[in-house]
Amino acid sequence: MNAFASAAFVAGLLLLGMAGPAGVGAPAFPVPSHSAAALGDDPEAVNEVVQEYCVRCHSETRRRGDLVLETFDAASVASSPENALVAERMIRKLRAGMMPPAGVRRPEASVLDDVVLELESTLDEAWEKNPEPGTRTFQRLNQAEYASAVKDLLGIEVDVGAFLPLDTKSANFDNIADVQMPSATVMEGYLRAAGQIARLALGDPDAEIANTIYRLSRIQSQRDQVEGAPFGTRGGLSVVHNFPADGKYVFHIMPYNAVEGEVFGRTFGTEHIEISIDGERVALLEIDRWMRESEPTGLNIRTDSIQVPAGPHRVTAAFIRQFEGELDDLIRPIDHTLADGQIGIGYGVTTQQHLQRLTILGPFEVTGVSDTPTRRYVFSCRPTSPAEARPCAESIVSRLATKAYRRDATDEDVEGLMSFYDEGEERGGFEGGVRLALQALLASPHFIFRMEEVPDGVRPGEIYEISDADLASRLSFFLWGAPPDQELIDLADRGDLSDDDELERQVLRMLADPRAEALGGRFAAQWLRLQDLEKIHPDALSYPYFDETLAEAMHEETVHLFNHIVHEDRPIIDLLSADYTFVNERLARHYGIPGVLGTEFRRVEYATEQRRGILGHGSILTLTSHANRTSPVLRGKWVMEVLLGAPPPPPPPNVPDLDETEGAEDGRFLTVRERMEQHRANPACSSCHNMIDPIGLALENFDVTGAWRERDGGNLVDPVGELYDGTQLAGPTDLRNVLLSRPEVFYRIFTENLMAYALGRRVEYYDMPAIRRITRRAADEGYRVSEFILGVVNTPAFTQSRAAQPVVAQTPVTTS
Amino acid sequence: MDFITGKHISRRTMLKGMGASVGLPLLDAMIPAARPWSRSEAARAADGTRLVCIENVHGAAGCNDLGAELGLWSPKEEGKDFDLSLSSMQPLDPFRKYLTIVSDTDCRMADAFQPSEIGGDHFRTTAVFLTQAHPKQTEGSDLFVGTSFDQIYAQRFGDATPIPSMQLTIENVDQAGGCAYGYACAYTDTISWASPSQPLPMIRDPRAVFEQLFGAGGTAEQRAERLRTDRSILDWVMGEMNGLRRQLGAADRQRLDLYTENIRELEQRIRRIEQQNTSGDEREIPEAPVGVPDSFSEHMHLMFDLQVLAFMSDTTRIFSLKMGRDASPRVYPESGTDSPYHASSHHGGREDRVRDFEKINRYHVSMIPYLLEKLQSVSEADGTLLDKTMVMYGSAMADSNLHNHIRCPLFLVGGANGLLQGERHIRADAGTPMANVMLTLLHKLGIDDIENFGNSTGTFAV
Repeated sequence: MNAFASAAFVAGLLLLGMAGPAGVGAPAFPVPSHSAAALGDDPEAVNEVVQEYCVRCHSETRRRGDLVLETFDAASVASSPENALVAERMIRKLRAGMMPPAGVRRPEASVLDDVVLELESTLDEAWEKNPEPGTRTFQRLNQAEYASAVKDLLGIEVDVGAFLPLDTKSANFDNIADVQMPSATVMEGYLRAAGQIARLALGDPDAEIANTIYRLSRIQSQRDQVEGAPFGTRGGLSVVHNFPADGKYVFHIMPYNAVEGEVFGRTFGTEHIEISIDGERVALLEIDRWMRESEPTGLNIRTDSIQVPAGPHRVTAAFIRQFEGELDDLIRPIDHTLADGQIGIGYGVTTQQHLQRLTILGPFEVTGVSDTPTRRYVFSCRPTSPAEARPCAESIVSRLATKAYRRDATDEDVEGLMSFYDEGEERGGFEGGVRLALQALLASPHFIFRMEEVPDGVRPGEIYEISDADLASRLSFFLWGAPPDQELIDLADRGDLSDDDELERQVLRMLADPRAEALGGRFAAQWLRLQDLEKIHPDALSYPYFDETLAEAMHEETVHLFNHIVHEDRPIIDLLSADYTFVNERLARHYGIPGVLGTEFRRVEYATEQRRGILGHGSILTLTSHANRTSPVLRGKWVMEVLLGAPPPPPPPNVPDLDETEGAEDGRFLTVRERMEQHRANPACSSCHNMIDPIGLALENFDVTGAWRERDGGNLVDPVGELYDGTQLAGPTDLRNVLLSRPEVFYRIFTENLMAYALGRRVEYYDMPAIRRITRRAADEGYRVSEFILGVVNTPAFTQSRAAQPVVAQTPVTTS
Repeated sequence: MDFITGKHISRRTMLKGMGASVGLPLLDAMIPAARPWSRSEAARAADGTRLVCIENVHGAAGCNDLGAELGLWSPKEEGKDFDLSLSSMQPLDPFRKYLTIVSDTDCRMADAFQPSEIGGDHFRTTAVFLTQAHPKQTEGSDLFVGTSFDQIYAQRFGDATPIPSMQLTIENVDQAGGCAYGYACAYTDTISWASPSQPLPMIRDPRAVFEQLFGAGGTAEQRAERLRTDRSILDWVMGEMNGLRRQLGAADRQRLDLYTENIRELEQRIRRIEQQNTSGDEREIPEAPVGVPDSFSEHMHLMFDLQVLAFMSDTTRIFSLKMGRDASPRVYPESGTDSPYHASSHHGGREDRVRDFEKINRYHVSMIPYLLEKLQSVSEADGTLLDKTMVMYGSAMADSNLHNHIRCPLFLVGGANGLLQGERHIRADAGTPMANVMLTLLHKLGIDDIENFGNSTGTFAV
């Protein structure tokens, strides 16, 4: 692991604050559950423990974990970045209880605790004397931030994936500044987006005819009414589409085909699809159930052209529901998805048609651009005479620029944009002028980059407070994933935002705002890796009930729980221990929770302990599985990486896959566990897998899709195992309890991720004292979420920056 | 999905009869039968070799000991009379006249050099393929590997076309667990490097590729106007950036300068596309594709369509294309196996599983004939576009079960302007770096003044 890349400019900083190793007292903070009496302030005693228990493996010759401790000296851990880095690595493993490993001689737990406390207090005191805020280059708006900034500015939703290249992730997150490498492609993306969005937002009488395709997945259930669709319908899709101009549009629908190209579900009878705009039916299409893909028109069905006014409208294409209630078939395809296309043509099974895609084509015969909410908002004034046009445009441009630039627009800002107004006005009149100014504004570096100003007179290497305007942006992108609102901009403009009380008041206000849901949807979802859920498609024959509707519900459950914890300001440990969760009918059925009806998510309490916290969430359990079997290794790895912050080392090459071990013995199928044990007999594997596997095995009662199971391949599931620290595990409850017994590890990894996301940079070893301080302070308030968030906001890394040195030219890696 | 049908349907006709055809990428029917963008004789004479570099992660089943014995990649015979019937390259047999197989070269720069690098093969290998250099282990912006093969060519000859080179990818890069062990995601996200520290992002959306090639807009006037507007906005953006520069710290200023350089390049591109759009014969531009197709083969075909279009219009001559991502769990149902790609590559050397993995290799190679057919269907003055194109296909991983980088898969296909004789299987001596092959190709492509490429030790007769 290489989590803490050392940054050259920090070299020596730690030295400055340290008069010497002497003077280190007992830990200055209350630490629950253990005292620091035995080794106290005695670095020598720590050294003895290290020499006695650690250096056998961490020697120059064996270099286990690429760590050498032979020359380790506890007295000088704060004296250089290298030493501090080593000490932080030790703290991490010791806090998680991972070292010394099982099977190796270990001192008493209290001795190890003392070692940790001694190392931490030395590092923390050095930091307190000389807090290091770190530095990073400026950020640019990533896909998600750009979309929310556009929504904030113009009130329209755009698919930015069509313009901007994919964001490179680092340390779990998509907003890490230093990996946002400049390229012509990126700049071209912003430029293209600016043109398209300006036309879309204000409408475009010259709009070209274009088609937009909305797709539905094969494995999406189309049995029930979908969100946004009118009552009395089933399946289909419902989207908000931006119509660029008043004009005629044509809607095409295409049902799914069965294996040989015929319409899936044709045995059901004749079905109708209703196209509605903002809930009003505009067309009813009959699907000819005998049509085939091979015909010249394929499976396309189209409406006549339909007049639609410009602006965002909800378009729904959904089947007319023909019956209610349960089916009484002999064979019942579960939830009637299309996981198996073959059944769609047989008789005796109720299979209904599925929508594959909706295409919106247009506009034809443009008649103009009528009023839309965005136009009403943008055109806050209308010139009634030529003389009024320019002043009116100026006020519009100035207002938009203030919002887009996240600070008060200056005269120069407005002047620059007005030159585009003039240019556009010549060709397209008043509206054409405003549109071109908007286009320039959306391409402006003030909009797409989040520059932070270095005050005059600050020299490279010096620490400075960031400006209030920059603080407002940091806050709002952290908590809302969006630009600051007017209140923040005004406060920053008056210089009041950096006032401690005001800052706290603003954080609490922002957390109460619905926009704070970005913390669940953006921060927690990335930290917990929920995006990986999209890549897992459990085997259709073994898990026929799995479909995208269920996967989406799983994703939503986890995000919902996190947002609930934020909204109610609950202790963050609820994420691991909550005896409640949020489910809709589909997910409740999956978990076996009775009495939940409808697509709405609601809170339910668990009757038993097994499923508490995110370790019982379908999302986590599914994204750590293979298509055809559970993976205790992936689950163990996920827990170690995401919840413990201690990733296992990479596997050696030439590891035979688990599937290679024989699946059956003595005439019965082996369980995943038994096959793993065979696999682990190999000593090259066992040293790490002894650590990883028991964690995952404790979750074996959850199948590939997170459903509870008693049996695996016909045999009873055996979730028993021994954790790396010797704790006996007999199922998910025990695993959860072990994690809860070392809550400090969880608090820190949560804070670390929160910091990385808030700062847009990876957390480095020199941030660890700040992280420990945040968790210590949160302890006084029962570890409520707001305490962690306020802790991050108040940390020097958030409110300050160190003026960076110019980057030194790279030297090539020497090749052997 | 075949778009070059030889039957010319104008956009207007298309819209009149749109009932049937909407939903398909409209490229299908829109390519005029004759090459629409004829250029002057002088320009044609200067026609450079078109280059397509395709990376396939995870090596090949035939690069494993057992797989080699079974002949699943390299044919047994050297020279002209090689037999592809057992090999994953069998789909290329109809094009064997154009095919040069180079077997047994190594990509040792993907090996671990330090203890901390052990196990990180999946997170290094992609960056090695076109650079043949060893990626520096870092998660930060201090990336360092090497300037890639395609970019060396682009930097020398890319000026001839409006866009020097383009980078395409098929798979999403959004995978939190995908880059690890101390390696920045950039190393796994792209195969093209403008300099050792400058990875070039790869585009996945065919629509974005299209608009880069031809500009956005429905008519020639619209496109011209929008390009002009874009250029004036860029001018202004440059001015704004200069203003900003004053308030920034040193590191930010350096990054800003990088952006400025890129904007300048973009301005150049737009200027050249403008020139090209207004010069010569009237150009018929096909309708833009919409969105990213779900199916792998559809996506590949669409990306190939766009490459052919770009070559036809001479908008760019250089592409790099990344077919997949290291350690990808993607399943290719059309390949005949439903094992996930990465799991399948760890076949343990067992015959049935090696053969299973081979199905995916063969499936991947089977995408290539589509490109070759399209190139062949476009006639140039004295031949076809295929005669002018060099496609390089390979991997810096060999036996992905062992994560080793010796005897890696590599083939070249296409007439390559006569630079390659074709219909040949060459087996390199043990220990020959793949870099030697690339160095030689660079020489052949006209960059004859460089003596080294990556870890090359000399040239290689191809």
